[in-house]
Amino acid sequence: MKAPEELVAVSDPGEVGREEHNRGDRFVVFMSNIAAWLFPILMLAITAQVILRNSGMNQAWLDDLQWWLYGAAVLIGVGYAVTTDSHVRVDILYDSFPREKQTRINIFAIGWLFLPFIILSWDVTYDYAVSSVRADEGSDSPNGLHNLWILKVFMNAAFIFIGIACWFAVKRYVTRQHPPKLWRMMWNTFPATFLLVNLAIYYGLYGVMTVLAEDGATSRDISRGPAFGELEFGNYEITYTVIAALVITPVLILVLRAMDSSRKTGA
Amino acid sequence: MLSFIGQFLTLNELAVIVMFLTFIWMLFRGIPVAMALVGVSLVFVVIAEVFLDPYRSYFRDIIEFDRTGIDYQRLGALSGRIFGSTVKNPVLVALPMFIFMGLMLDQSGVAQRMMRSMQKLFGSLRGGLSLTVLLIGIILAASTGVIGASVTLLGVMALPAMMAQNYSKPIATGTIASAGTLGILIPPSIMLVIMSDQLAISLGDLFMGALFPGLILGALYITFIVIYGLVKPDAMPVPEKTEEVGWPVIKEVLLAVIPPMILILLVLGSIFAGIATPTEASGLGALGATMLALFNGRLNMKVLREVSRSTLNTSGYIVGIFLAANFFAFILRRYGGDEIIEGLVLSVFDDPYAIILFILFIVFLLGFLLDWIEITIIIMPLMLPIIQGLGIEADIPDYGQVAAPVITWFAILVAVTLQTSFLTPPVGFALFYLKGVCPPGVTIGDIYKGVIPFVLLQILGLFIVFEFPWLVTWLPSVAYGN
Repeated sequence: MKAPEELVAVSDPGEVGREEHNRGDRFVVFMSNIAAWLFPILMLAITAQVILRNSGMNQAWLDDLQWWLYGAAVLIGVGYAVTTDSHVRVDILYDSFPREKQTRINIFAIGWLFLPFIILSWDVTYDYAVSSVRADEGSDSPNGLHNLWILKVFMNAAFIFIGIACWFAVKRYVTRQHPPKLWRMMWNTFPATFLLVNLAIYYGLYGVMTVLAEDGATSRDISRGPAFGELEFGNYEITYTVIAALVITPVLILVLRAMDSSRKTGA
Repeated sequence: MLSFIGQFLTLNELAVIVMFLTFIWMLFRGIPVAMALVGVSLVFVVIAEVFLDPYRSYFRDIIEFDRTGIDYQRLGALSGRIFGSTVKNPVLVALPMFIFMGLMLDQSGVAQRMMRSMQKLFGSLRGGLSLTVLLIGIILAASTGVIGASVTLLGVMALPAMMAQNYSKPIATGTIASAGTLGILIPPSIMLVIMSDQLAISLGDLFMGALFPGLILGALYITFIVIYGLVKPDAMPVPEKTEEVGWPVIKEVLLAVIPPMILILLVLGSIFAGIATPTEASGLGALGATMLALFNGRLNMKVLREVSRSTLNTSGYIVGIFLAANFFAFILRRYGGDEIIEGLVLSVFDDPYAIILFILFIVFLLGFLLDWIEITIIIMPLMLPIIQGLGIEADIPDYGQVAAPVITWFAILVAVTLQTSFLTPPVGFALFYLKGVCPPGVTIGDIYKGVIPFVLLQILGLFIVFEFPWLVTWLPSVAYGN
């Protein structure tokens, strides 16, 4: 029997199941291990502010710094928890499932449900970050931490980080079943891939239109152009870019699958 | 089929029901909560965008529905919500800091020292070990707030000693499970931090409000153990040879108890005295716990590193649920889910107190399935408008100081209810955490039998808080009154 001290000892979450980790997982763990140091720093920043304020030297920027540090750290933490498989679940039934089934559930949960949401979040926070940079957004408090845009850009980048964590977590689970070829990965993250293809088409088209547009055209004029129109199907309507993505994504997966030589040799 | 359903429900009601059912089904499949939430929401975004345009859809003739107005442009509103709720949220800064403090305190060896010394002090007393566990539970409650962590720690530390002293298995396990769950109520608990964020009430008020109810429950437990020891001496035998209780023992106890007491005073006292905000108190607490570990010779780079990383992991998954629940709430509101749920709850009873009891009962049932994290983040915001609309402000004393007395009182009631739920067989969370660290001879049946009296005490405690709301609102009014 181990001593109580050993049993309650914390373990390093990034080291659990390390032998199965791929390079992407290790990258996420590496970055997270750096981000973890923000907490001791936060602890010291808070203590410093309490001492300074009570001795009459209030530092408003330290108040802002607290949630800056917190916000930056926990966004990284969301990705970290994907890699360490610690997102909370109801495990009454899950624990008794065979490992293959658990693997399938995890692939579905991350690839089909979570990753599309992360890409969506990345897209919606992108404009948010860009407009913050344009406005050179500052703090609510006159003596606070200015350059709030840094944090908003960081939030946007954090979603890319979480996305990377999701992708490589899916890859790790797929590796348990088959060699993780690209087409297989794309299939196992289908909604996310579709969303990415859709975004690529949209922004690509937008870029081309911007170049072609007459001088003085606003972004509103461009996004109202004929290429962004809609097709009507009886009661419904679908924009061209979505239709294109709906066609291209499966075709892309099928082509990549056909090109996969390992499949034919049965490897 | 839709036209048949349309006779009873609107399409929005149907959608909300299907949303929740899908969510629950996904949960039972073992899909992590955050991912199930975003998954359901994404599906309903697609449904809204593709099928539910009332100006075009043929549905409008057969089933009634309100426009959801969800489209990709509108989802842009999420960015501000994500930033405001998860990043720019000064209250939630307390979350990782209290987690850090709890983990560090577990590492500091404080609990083990208290166990060793108090065991000697109460050794000759009947039920001494149970009392020791309860007192450590109450003192450490202030530190952890993650039920799994407190129950595991107490179980690992105390159960072997109790078994060696021939305590009856039910009473031993019952004590540990209930002492461990006190942590989610007694401040500073991270559940209260999240509640204060979700219900938009002062964290200081919640901390102060939870103190009396927590101590009352602790006192009820202790009274029960003492009486039980008198009625059934065999269940808690006194060891044959006991050390004499003299000055050395008392000194040892004081040396073990004073440091964590100072830590609690540091955290709660700095809030009470107005030196620090509750958020800042969390940082002071984290530093204090680190100092304790340092003085006990337990602090090294490895411990600091691993505590920081575990903190990142735990706050990461909690914030993951924040992100997901935010999206879910956004979509649910677009479907009119808020009003539908509000109407549903309000239609069950007329009496405002019956409605509160009904909500508590629902929370109690949910506590079997979900951890407090999900319940507070998903359910509390939905209940908030209902409680605000009950019109019972006049019944809850605010002493002219407490900003939201009804909500504060309600939050504490929910906290006690959740705690009860986690203890209740057959599926209370605490019971399973405890089973995980039990020596082979102890069955889950022993644990079930052992917690029943404590569950009854919990219900008594809940009743007391329900009947006497001033127990919650008086202390905050004094704390901020001057």
